[in-house]
Order: sequence, then C-alpha cells, then structure tokens
Amino acid sequence: MSTDQQSPASDAAARGRGAAVTPRPTTTRQALSEIRGGVAAMWWGFFDWLAIVSWKILALISLLILILVGGIYRHPTPALTLIIASVIIKAVAGGKRKAELTASEATKRADTEQLERTVLEARMEALQAQIEPHFLFNTLASIDQLILTDPPRASRMQQSLIRYLRSAMPQMRDGKRPTLGQQVGLCSAFLEIMAVRMEGRLQWAVDVPEGLRSAVFPSMMLQTLVENAIKHGLEPKAEGGRLEIGAQIVDGQLSVHVLDTGIGFMPKSEIGVGLANIRERLKVLYNGRAELIISVPPEGGTRATINVPYEIAAT
Amino acid sequence: MPSSLAPTAVVADDERLMREQIIGRLKQAWPELSIVGEAVNGREAVALVRSLEPDIAFLDISMPEMDGIQAAQMVAGEVHVVFVTAHDEYAIKAFEQGAVDYILKPAEPERLAITCQRLRERLKGAPDPMNELLAQLSQRLGGAAVKAREYMRWVQASVGATIRMIPTSDILFFRAEDKYTRVQTPTFEALIRKPIKELIDELDPNEFWQIHRATVVRVDAVEQVSRNLRGQQVVHVKGSPEKLEVSRTFNHLFKQM
Repeated sequence: MSTDQQSPASDAAARGRGAAVTPRPTTTRQALSEIRGGVAAMWWGFFDWLAIVSWKILALISLLILILVGGIYRHPTPALTLIIASVIIKAVAGGKRKAELTASEATKRADTEQLERTVLEARMEALQAQIEPHFLFNTLASIDQLILTDPPRASRMQQSLIRYLRSAMPQMRDGKRPTLGQQVGLCSAFLEIMAVRMEGRLQWAVDVPEGLRSAVFPSMMLQTLVENAIKHGLEPKAEGGRLEIGAQIVDGQLSVHVLDTGIGFMPKSEIGVGLANIRERLKVLYNGRAELIISVPPEGGTRATINVPYEIAAT
Repeated sequence: MPSSLAPTAVVADDERLMREQIIGRLKQAWPELSIVGEAVNGREAVALVRSLEPDIAFLDISMPEMDGIQAAQMVAGEVHVVFVTAHDEYAIKAFEQGAVDYILKPAEPERLAITCQRLRERLKGAPDPMNELLAQLSQRLGGAAVKAREYMRWVQASVGATIRMIPTSDILFFRAEDKYTRVQTPTFEALIRKPIKELIDELDPNEFWQIHRATVVRVDAVEQVSRNLRGQQVVHVKGSPEKLEVSRTFNHLFKQM
C-alpha cells in the first residue's frame, strides 16, 4: 500500500534522474527532463500538502497571498486563479489523497505496533514459563524416595516430570500456535506429580470436551492458574481438596476455568505476578477481546476463568 | 530433657514421602535416635514438641496451617531445630551462619551424617533460642515479621449471579447509591454493601482518592479535571462517560502545580 502512495512523486523523480544518467549527447534535453522531474516532484509535494492542510489554514494563506501579491503588483488575477484551482483540487481529490496518506501512516504504525506486541508477548510468555525450582527439587526428592520404596511408581512419576518439562520449556516448543489440548496435557502431567506428592489431599479432574482440544489457547496460562490453585488454595489447607479444569463455549468464546475448593481468595492479597502476567498477555494478544475473571463459587474456594475468542488451530 | 536416655526426635513435613525419606535416612545415619512422632503441618509439630518433649525437631519450611519458621518460633529454646527444605537460597544463606542446621531434600547420607554429628554435640547443651536467625528468616520469607500496612487489592462484588473478585487496578471509581456502593470498571458495574466511609479506610491512599462524600476515584483513571457551569470541579475518567463532581472539601487535590 505504501509503495502505491509514494509512486507518483517518486516515479516522476526517478524518471528525471534516470534520464539524467542515460548518456544522451544533448545537455539541454538532460536539463529539461531534470526540470520536468523537479516540477513534478514539487507538484506532488504541493498536492500532498493541499490534501492534508485544513480549510482554515488554506483560507488564511490564500488571504495572505492575495494581500501580498495584490499589494505588490496590483495584479491579483494569477494569484486568484491559483487559489481557486487549489480550492477545487482540494475539494475534488484532496479527501481521497488525505485518506490514502493517513491510511499509509496507519499501516506503518500498525506494523510497528504489531512487532512491539510480538516482542512483548514473547518476553512475558518466557517469564510465565519459568519452572519453579521449589517444585522441581521437591519432585526430584519424591522420586528419589519412591525409587527405594515403589520403583514402578517412581518411574511413572519421572515420566510425568519429563512430559511436564518437555512442554513447559519454551525452547522445546515447535513454534506453532499452542492448543488447549497441549495446555491441558501439560497441566495433567503437573497434577499427576502433585497428586503423588500430596496423596489424599489432592483430587483432580479434567472436563474438557475432545472437540475443544484443538482450539487455540495461549501457552502457560492454564498452568499458572493450576499452580496458583494448588499453592494458594489447596496446599495451605490441611485437609486439601479438589481441583477441576473445565472448558466450554460460551457466547462464541472459549471459556476455560480452574476451580478449586481451597482456602479461597484474600481481598488483601497482592495480585500475584502470575495473574498480572496473564492479564497483560491477554491484553497484548487479544486487544480487549479476552479476559481473566476470578470469582468465588457459592461452595467456597476459587474459580479462575479465562475467556478468549474461539479459534481452531491450523493443522 | 532426657538426654541420658536415647535421643528422641519428631519429623514434620506435609508430604508423607518426604517424612519417610528423612526418617529412613536418619535411621541409617544415627541408629540410636528414636523418632517419636510425625506431624503434617506446623501446628501439629508444635503440639508434638509440647507433648512429647523430644530433643530434636526436623521441620519442613513450607507446610500448611503454620510453616516451619513459625513453628520454630513457637518452640524456640524448647527443642533443637533442624530445618528441612527442597530449595530456598535465602534460608540456606542464613543457616550457613551456623546457629542451627538445615537439610536439603533429598537428604544426602554424607550430609546427613554431618548434621547428626553436629546434633550429638549440641545435645550436650541447651537448645538455642535462635532469636536472630528466626527473625531474619521470617523477614526473608515474608512470614510473621512486621509488614507495611496492607490495603485492599481485590473487591468482592456480585456481578449478576456470581461473586467476582475485581482487582482494584480495574476499578475506575466507587460511588454511593442509596444503600449500596457502585463499583465501576471500564466494562461492567457491580454493587457492594460496604459504604464509602468504610471503603476509604481499606483502600490504598496512593491508589484511590475521595473527591466527594459519595465518590472515590482511582487516581490513575483520572483523565482530566474541568469546571462545570457552576464553577465546580468535575473529574473525567478514562473509559467511562460519567463525570464526577468534586466537592469543595476536596478541591485542593486538583490544584494546579
């Protein structure tokens, strides 16, 4: 689009320069075409200016020219002709040209914004994908113990850990848009590990219809919600509780939730880095078309819901 | 303390595997030590220490109900405390100053042997009250140490049939309306029962300003302040067409610099 806009002026200029370079014997021709190019460039510059300038300023400048020219030469006719021509050009073609110019400006701006957003999102995603050392070391210590007491279980737990690490490390992902299915898989691996460690204190269930697993869903967000539910909801509760991951389509949006029966939300607790990060990323990725909602279910605990536009991942 | 008899210990960790691990390895490293009790949280650990009067308590740092640091604070001076942790760089730094010992999970037999040797030495004396160390630790871990005043960060409000937790950073303003207070965000409004004069005490004064008997506005949401025909200051808020009057008492808030 932007090349389109530039073409009249730059073409003319290019033609002028092109002619100058070609080895023609006559210098007058050369000079003429240079002048022609210069005039054309000036004309397009003037045209662009006409298109952008406001009517008020145009009127003011016209008046100024009339006074100056009229005062000096007492021959207002050429100036008047120029002014009338300007007004006609602006009225007829100015609107379109102005729109073109603003559009090209907007495209440029949008390109930059898009780039900035991509960079920002990548940075925040990496931040969110950081694996908590506490989780990793505790899990390895548990596996160490299971190797002695229950080797088959140790092996299963280690496989879960491998699965978790594979999908949680950003550099190990394949660059395709992440799907809800992948995110649920990652969370399941995490929950399998936590269930071994917390034993009877953690029951968990996933209720995500098969058909929704191919939907696009941003990476590591569900994982953050699940980790929060365990760390701030269930682990601090002596008797533990239940965690449920669910997904459905609500009003054409994909609505994914994590529900826990833990100790519940404290109004004075700081908005954690994880939640703040999700909110920022949703803003960057979906520009107001997605949201994170924290609510309190009637039976207590916490329910965190992420709503994003429903989109099937390209295969 | 019955130190003439075989030494006794309790082990506290919320994960059973971790309790089994430490108990199993202690048995190898120190066969005479008898484990007299197991606790799954800090509260239970304190109760066990009080009722069984063991010589040593092995406490996991992160536990539900009451964490290991808080539990240690309660029983300091009554028992020799050894902290057990999977990963905590701050805690480890503090332990290295030598007041009590720590064990890193999974406990390596060689490291555990050193701990046991140290404990044997310590058992000859009275348990350390660990005042300084515990104060440092709880400060670093954000435990019981004195913190700056906490303000409300979430407002619990009904939106339709659900109770939502609305982050204060989403709220444009609060406005008293009859018996309720209206909570306005850029996308929806909700009602709460808490009156403005109670709210203002719980909100962070750096985040929210009262501009009228019936209105509290989030400072960052203020777009501009103009004057209406009666010369009264009016606040325009980003993301809402509503204009909020400033009563004379609060005029000074928007004085020109």
